[in-house]
Amino acid sequence: MDAAITPDRQYVLAALHEVIDPELGYNIVDLGMVYELAVDAGVVKISMTMTTPGCPAQDYILAGVYERARSLPGISAVDINLVWEPAWSPQRMTPIAKAHFGIQE
Amino acid sequence: MATLSNRLSRWTLLLFACALVNFLAAQGLILAGMTWPARALSAPGTLAAVHLLVIGWLLLMMLGALFQFVPVITARPLTSQRMALWALIGIEVGLGGMICGFFGITASPVLAMALPAGATAVLLGVLAASWNVGVPLVRARPLALPGRMVLTGLVFLVITVMLGLSFALAFTVPALAPYLAGLLNAFGDHALAGLGGWFTLTAMGVSYKLLPMFMLAPEDRGIPGDCVHILGTLGFALAVAAGVAQVWVSAGFLRIAQSSGYVAITIAVAIYLWDIRRIYRTRRRTAIEVHNRAAVGAFGFLGLAAALAISSLGTGRPAAGAPVSVFLVVFGWLGGLGLTQLYKIIPFLTWLGRYGSALGRASVPRVQDLVRERRGGQWFVLYFAAILLGSAFALSGSAPGFRSCIALVALATAGLVTEYWRAWRGHYVQARHAEAAIPPFLASPRE
Repeated sequence: MDAAITPDRQYVLAALHEVIDPELGYNIVDLGMVYELAVDAGVVKISMTMTTPGCPAQDYILAGVYERARSLPGISAVDINLVWEPAWSPQRMTPIAKAHFGIQE
Repeated sequence: MATLSNRLSRWTLLLFACALVNFLAAQGLILAGMTWPARALSAPGTLAAVHLLVIGWLLLMMLGALFQFVPVITARPLTSQRMALWALIGIEVGLGGMICGFFGITASPVLAMALPAGATAVLLGVLAASWNVGVPLVRARPLALPGRMVLTGLVFLVITVMLGLSFALAFTVPALAPYLAGLLNAFGDHALAGLGGWFTLTAMGVSYKLLPMFMLAPEDRGIPGDCVHILGTLGFALAVAAGVAQVWVSAGFLRIAQSSGYVAITIAVAIYLWDIRRIYRTRRRTAIEVHNRAAVGAFGFLGLAAALAISSLGTGRPAAGAPVSVFLVVFGWLGGLGLTQLYKIIPFLTWLGRYGSALGRASVPRVQDLVRERRGGQWFVLYFAAILLGSAFALSGSAPGFRSCIALVALATAGLVTEYWRAWRGHYVQARHAEAAIPPFLASPRE
C-alpha cells in the first residue's frame, strides 16, 4: 500500500494536523503556523513560524514536524525553514481554530 | 533535528519546588503563633517568616520563572544553566543562615553571626542569578517593555539585598560599621525596594508578556506601558533613596522627594491596573484558562494594598496599615500572581520534559490535559478569599482570626501544590497517551 502512495501537499498537511502547539493545545496547521508547504519528488519543503519568538517549545515543534513528515511513506527528506516575517497573529487561524478559541472572524 | 532545547531552563522546576516548600514553612511559622500579629514585627519569628516568604518563596519563584522567561523574551540562552543551580544553593543556604541568625540575636552572639554570613551567601546567589539573566537581557538591547522592566527590577534586587546585608552587619557587629547603625530605621525602605522596585516592577514586566501571549491580546502596551515603567522606576527610586538618606540627614526636600515617590508609585500602579484591564478586554481568546481567570484576584489585591497604603499615609498612621499592606502584597498580589502562573508554567515545562520529544512520533496530550481546572479554580477561590478575610482580621487586631485565615491559606496552598505535583506526575493524563511519557524530571533537559 505504501509504495502506491504519491505524497502531495494535502497528504503531508493532513499528517501535520497531529503536531500540536502544546501551549495553545491545538494543531499547528489550523493555528496557521505553516506558511508554505511543497512536495517535490519525495522532498518536503516547509516554511513555518512560531506563535512567539523565543518560544520554549520551538525545537520540539520543529522536531515534531520533521518526524511526522519524514515518517510518511514516499517522503525521503524534509526541509524546514523557520521564519518570523510575517509575524504570526490569531488572524492566521483557520475558521475552525478561531471557533475553538472563541475568536470573532 | 535537535530534541532537547537550550531554550529550557534546566533548574526552574527545582527552584519552584524549593520555593513552594519555603512558602508552606513560612505559613507554618505563622500558624505556630511565632510571628506578627501575635508577636512584634521585630520578633525573631516574624523576621524569619518574612524572609522565608520574600527570599525563600517569592525570590526563588521569580528567579525560577526568569530563568525560563528571559530566553523567551530575548531569544538568547541564559549565560549558564549551572549558574542557576549555584544561585539556588547560595540563596537557600544563605536563607538558612539568616533564619538561624534571627533566632540567635537574642539567644547567642555566636549564632547571631549566621545572619551576616547568610546574608552574604544570599547576596552571592543573587549576583549569580542577576548575571545569568542580566547578560542576555543587556545583549538583546533594544529591549521591549517586559525586558526593560525586568532589567530595572534586577537593579532594585541587588540594592535590596545589599541594604539587607548592611542591616545584618549593623545588627550583629555594630562596632564594625557604626555608621550603619542608623540604617536599622530604614527597614521600611528596604521592604519598599524589594517588594516594589524588584518584585512588583518585575512581575509587571513579566505579566506584560505572559498575559497577552496566553490570552492572544495585543502585546504592544504603547505609552501607558512606558508610563508604568518610568513612573514606577522613578517612584520607587525616589522613595527608597530619600527614605534611606533621612537616616543621616533630616531635610524638608528629602521628605518632599519621598512623598513625590509615593505619588509616582500610586499613579504607576493605577495605570498598570487600568492597562491590565485593557488586556483582558481586548483579548482575542474569549475562553481563558484558570490561571488567567484567577490572576484577576492578584491584580485586585495589588489595588487593595495600594489603596490601604495610601489611606494609612494620608491619615498619618502608616504603622497601622503598613503591615497589612505588606501582607496583601506578599500573599495577595505577588504570591497570588505566582501561584496562578505556576498553574500554567509547571504543566508546560512538564509537558516539554515528558512529551516534547514524542511530538510527531506518538499521540501526546495537550498541556491543558495535565491539569483539572475545576479543582485548581476551587483552591484559588479559597486562597484569595482567606487572604481577604485575613487582612480584615489583621486590621481589626484579631490575631486568632488572622491565624485561622492563614490556616485556610495553607490549606489552599497545599491543595495547589498537590495539583502541581499531579500535573508533574501526569496524574490526569489519559492512558492512551501514557506510552509517550518518559520518566518525570526535576532537572532536565541537560545543558
